[in-house]
Amino acid sequence: MALLEKQRTRAGEEGPRPAPRLSLLTKDRLAAAPFLLGAVALVAALLLVPFLATAYQSLTRDDGFTSSFIGFDNYLALLQDPTFGRSLLNTLLWTVGTLILPVGLGLLIAVLTNAVPGGRWLKYVFVLPYALSGTATAVIWGFILRSDGALNQAIEFFGGDASTSGWLLTWPTNTIVMIVASTWQATGVTVILFMIGLQAIPKEVVQAGELDGASGLRLFWHVVLPQLRPVTIVVVGMSIANSLRVFDLIWLLTKGGPGAASETLAVTMYRQTFILSDYGTGAAVAVILSVIVVGASWFYLRHQYKRG
Amino acid sequence: MTLRIIRNVLFYALAAVWALPLYLLVVNAFTRAADYGGAPSWLPVGFGFFDNLATAWTESQLGHGMLNSLLYASASAGVAVLAAGMAGFAVVVMPLKRPTVWFWLIYLGTLLPLQIFLAPLFSAYVSTSLYDTNLGMILIYSAICIPFAFFIVRNYLTTIAPEVTEAAKLDGAGWPRLFRSIHLPLIRSSLFAAFIFQFTWVWNDLLFGITLTTSPDRRPVMAALAEIDGGFSTFGPPVVLAAAIVASLPTIVLFLTCQRFFVSSLRAAR
Repeated sequence: MALLEKQRTRAGEEGPRPAPRLSLLTKDRLAAAPFLLGAVALVAALLLVPFLATAYQSLTRDDGFTSSFIGFDNYLALLQDPTFGRSLLNTLLWTVGTLILPVGLGLLIAVLTNAVPGGRWLKYVFVLPYALSGTATAVIWGFILRSDGALNQAIEFFGGDASTSGWLLTWPTNTIVMIVASTWQATGVTVILFMIGLQAIPKEVVQAGELDGASGLRLFWHVVLPQLRPVTIVVVGMSIANSLRVFDLIWLLTKGGPGAASETLAVTMYRQTFILSDYGTGAAVAVILSVIVVGASWFYLRHQYKRG
Repeated sequence: MTLRIIRNVLFYALAAVWALPLYLLVVNAFTRAADYGGAPSWLPVGFGFFDNLATAWTESQLGHGMLNSLLYASASAGVAVLAAGMAGFAVVVMPLKRPTVWFWLIYLGTLLPLQIFLAPLFSAYVSTSLYDTNLGMILIYSAICIPFAFFIVRNYLTTIAPEVTEAAKLDGAGWPRLFRSIHLPLIRSSLFAAFIFQFTWVWNDLLFGITLTTSPDRRPVMAALAEIDGGFSTFGPPVVLAAAIVASLPTIVLFLTCQRFFVSSLRAAR
């Protein structure tokens, strides 16, 4: 979400500022203080100070009682930790998976919704899960994926051998099925956004394409898809940011396990800090995650704007 | 023609895949916990929804969680929207020095993942006795909600013509009066959109709920649901699924009735 916001901000700053410069009397400037106070005080005290505290904490050895400065040792230790490597790999899998699945399926469903009879009503089947929380999604999918769950039952019903499929118990299967569960929940919003994007395409553009003899997939690929570019930038950016932050679903379905096999960075940070009470390492993971989130957003948007 | 058939079949197949978990959720939440035979039901049997719910209500105090979340979500979204509206007014309308610096100061909060705030907040909350209190939860949720609400309101304010402000200033209106009687009414719909969006976010949050509260009468709804889920084998799946449905109903209703506002919040993010 964050990076879409950033994009709009930049665009806004390029234009002329509509804010009037009435007079810069000191009296007027002081008048702004009470208006800013609430927002700035809350954000500074509860977000910015903790952010700086975490950045510092990542440079210390801290068990919650005593703390000593150790420079970048936490980061160096993480780099040599195979568990952390797995966590990074899972985070990458989540990012790629939630890019391809919700974005691809969302586009497909949005296009089909307008064309298929009954699509207007059936679209609610896709949209509804988006209103569910990550926790509720995890409850539902836990019911489906556990060893005595609905999926294994269905497999046995059709004559398969379900005992071999511990969906949440082996890597990389557990990460993949959780990405599927997340896709089920998150596709609704991409459907909504793509439908808005499709509605915004001028009729003349499509008609011109049809006059030139394009139809079906060719029309879609060469005429419709380029028109969806702005909304695609938003949807992809949103998916990247959300996938890097996923926590609820993994925490409830596998607790990051077995061992730490299905952890992503968000889960690793939580376990290091609140389960192992290793605050320094937890803080280092949080900093690395932040650098990746902000870096990915920045890189993606910069790249998109160069091309656009 | 063949293409059209393939297209329709594909769409209906996808819809069926999406509907199946919802169907299983409802059918099994309505199965009596005592009748649950250890394997998921695929066809409706009996009507035990309210009995299941009663179990969740008494055993894990889901009701407490829902009331707490109602308080946290409405108070925090309310505070955030008001604070964001005022700050947006200051940054866009008032003659502020370096408005960009103030913008980034407030806005920075949404760029960072929530994990970066957690540990220091936990320590600070424990040492200031804000841990496991209603006030503590309202404060953190308000702070989390401000940056995005601020962003939506700010974008909306920049579309209001400066002449509006100038005319009112010439008529002798002070800043507080200007905000109350001119700008606040003008940005009402964007404030409402931000409120709905943030209310849903707070209602659905698990991370702060499990980190900053512990007792059942302070815990938000998703933390309560997570605990019920942990008792999957004790209560039986019907109880857990019934709890999940009830915990989700407020946001589902809100989402379906206020879809227009959700969409406008999401589009504001463009």
